[in-house]
Amino acid sequence: MLKIENLHVEVDGKPILKGITLDIAAGEVHAIMGPNGSGKSTLAYVLAGREGYEVTKGSVTYKGQNLLEMEPEVRAAEGVFLGFQYPVAIPGVSNIYFLKAALNAIRKHRGQDPLDAIDFMKLSKEKAAIVQLPDELTKRAVNDGFSGGEKKRNEIFQMAMLEPSLAVLDETDSGLDIDALRVVAQGVNALRGPERAMLVITHYQRLLDYIVPDVVHVLIDGRIVRTGDKDLAKQLEKQGYSEVRDAIQP
Amino acid sequence: MTENTPNTLLQSLPESFEKGPEWLRELRSRAAEGLRAQGLPTKRTEAWRFTPVRPLVEVGLSPAAGDGLSVPSAVPKGVTVRSLREVLAREPGLLQGRLDLAGTPEHFAALNTALFEDGLWVDVAERTVVGAPVEIRHAVGRAGVSYPRVLVTVGEDAEVAFIETYQGRAAGGLTNSVVEVDVGRNAKVSHVRIHENAGLQVGRVDVRQAADSRYRSTVVTLGGALLRLDVRALLEGAGAECQLDGAYLVEGRDHVDHHTLVEHRAPHCRSDQTYRGIASGHGTAVFDGIVIVHRGAQKTEAHQENRNLLLSDAATIHTKPHLEIDADDVICSHGATIGSIDEDQLFYLRARGIPQDLAHAMLTYAFLESIIDRVSHEPTRTRMREALLARIPHGDAIREVT
Repeated sequence: MLKIENLHVEVDGKPILKGITLDIAAGEVHAIMGPNGSGKSTLAYVLAGREGYEVTKGSVTYKGQNLLEMEPEVRAAEGVFLGFQYPVAIPGVSNIYFLKAALNAIRKHRGQDPLDAIDFMKLSKEKAAIVQLPDELTKRAVNDGFSGGEKKRNEIFQMAMLEPSLAVLDETDSGLDIDALRVVAQGVNALRGPERAMLVITHYQRLLDYIVPDVVHVLIDGRIVRTGDKDLAKQLEKQGYSEVRDAIQP
Repeated sequence: MTENTPNTLLQSLPESFEKGPEWLRELRSRAAEGLRAQGLPTKRTEAWRFTPVRPLVEVGLSPAAGDGLSVPSAVPKGVTVRSLREVLAREPGLLQGRLDLAGTPEHFAALNTALFEDGLWVDVAERTVVGAPVEIRHAVGRAGVSYPRVLVTVGEDAEVAFIETYQGRAAGGLTNSVVEVDVGRNAKVSHVRIHENAGLQVGRVDVRQAADSRYRSTVVTLGGALLRLDVRALLEGAGAECQLDGAYLVEGRDHVDHHTLVEHRAPHCRSDQTYRGIASGHGTAVFDGIVIVHRGAQKTEAHQENRNLLLSDAATIHTKPHLEIDADDVICSHGATIGSIDEDQLFYLRARGIPQDLAHAMLTYAFLESIIDRVSHEPTRTRMREALLARIPHGDAIREVT
């Protein structure tokens, strides 16, 4: 589904990602763990197509196409979803209407007719229930006045509505207490499936107790330094990133 | 120099003041004298620094046939609408002391006072609560100069909403309007004013508020070849509150200039101003807001905010909010921003699949719609939204999802 090869990325002329290679097949959940500043969010943004990230080397292939050539909205329409670490508030744009515009734009891209109001509301009720997002929040302005937990639940709600093929979840656990974490993780797990790939980015192992990954990668200083199964995450939790860092330094 | 410099214009002011009651003749000649002494503004006049006076003067002074005002076809119960000309001819005493709320008018408002021939008097009786808004329509862009004049008097404990629309062709004459609103004790007034294709316009809204009254103004200006509007609220009675909101949008070579003035003359009053604007193309938008807190107006709370989006390099925005405070126990704030569409918001929408141009339009719409959203009367809100959607790219697509 997603093939990243020797990806080098600079921000303001400063190298952040220094040769990432990653292969995620449909149905797999990969976790990327790393300390602050290791390049985790940069990877997420590059995959979603944010401006300001310059790819200097390497390639990203998604479903056989060059992902890096697509506009962000085209990536979304092709099934790429980014769950933001810090979802921005958009006063004046209602959550539900914005999602309707998004869903219908994606459907149009796929040659489907727009959903009518009744079907859309039905779908939205069903999906909001997955993350226990109150009806009232779905109607408020996007993330406006939402608590940290509500914002993250809203991200997963949107993911459930848009049904992406590839979900990149950037620190979905940050700012969540244990109850909220459980709800969000349940939402993510409900969306796991043989047709869908996920890339879960996190600083802490905690999230991976709830969203159990197939593969764990450790990202340090823009490079993947270790790859293993879910036990690698546990090992990291015990040892901390510094030991891994020390171990790889000559 | 053309012949129509302000001074030559003023010399030829018609002496049409012989008609009408004595107090009106005095009012008119005071306005004319003031004009002759003071002249019309020039580009050195501080309040006109960013807005050219010449196009407004070049039209001349000659009154157009009629004032472009139409009498509302249906008037809610408890509201009386009469022609000013008729009242001045038959019962002038009713209007004495009420036609000049702000004292001696200046500049273009003085011209209106000197030259208006007719207009509307909307009177709301005490304790009347009016459900449906009163609609006052102005046809603008007619040849010559129109001097529409509207007086709204609202009795004690009454509640009323009125909508003014200024609609017309972009080209044509000048509309020089004066609207006065006298808000009685504990009365509530909502005043919506919509400018569409405003052409050449200069307007003045004077509001006088008695104790415990509420006045809310929402001005929506969608383009305009050259529009200048001054909204002034005088908080004369303790406990009065006013809210002045505005949304303006300029494109092409539009030039719109909104001035506000809130004078706190009594204690325990509150004022809140929120103006938002968008400038694109080669458009120019000006906002200038003043809050004056007079000595003795203790426990005043006054807030003022002006936010702007500058969407093209060739567009211009001037903003100048300011406070003059002569009391020591007050809470006041003011602020102004000029920015562009928020990149984080734009990316968020695009990352969800919304095409860039639609995402841009949605954010533009939301920015101004937040002003409209504060209007409590739903059909009025819908109407304002429709007017805005008609001017925004992808308006149809936005309508579908809102």
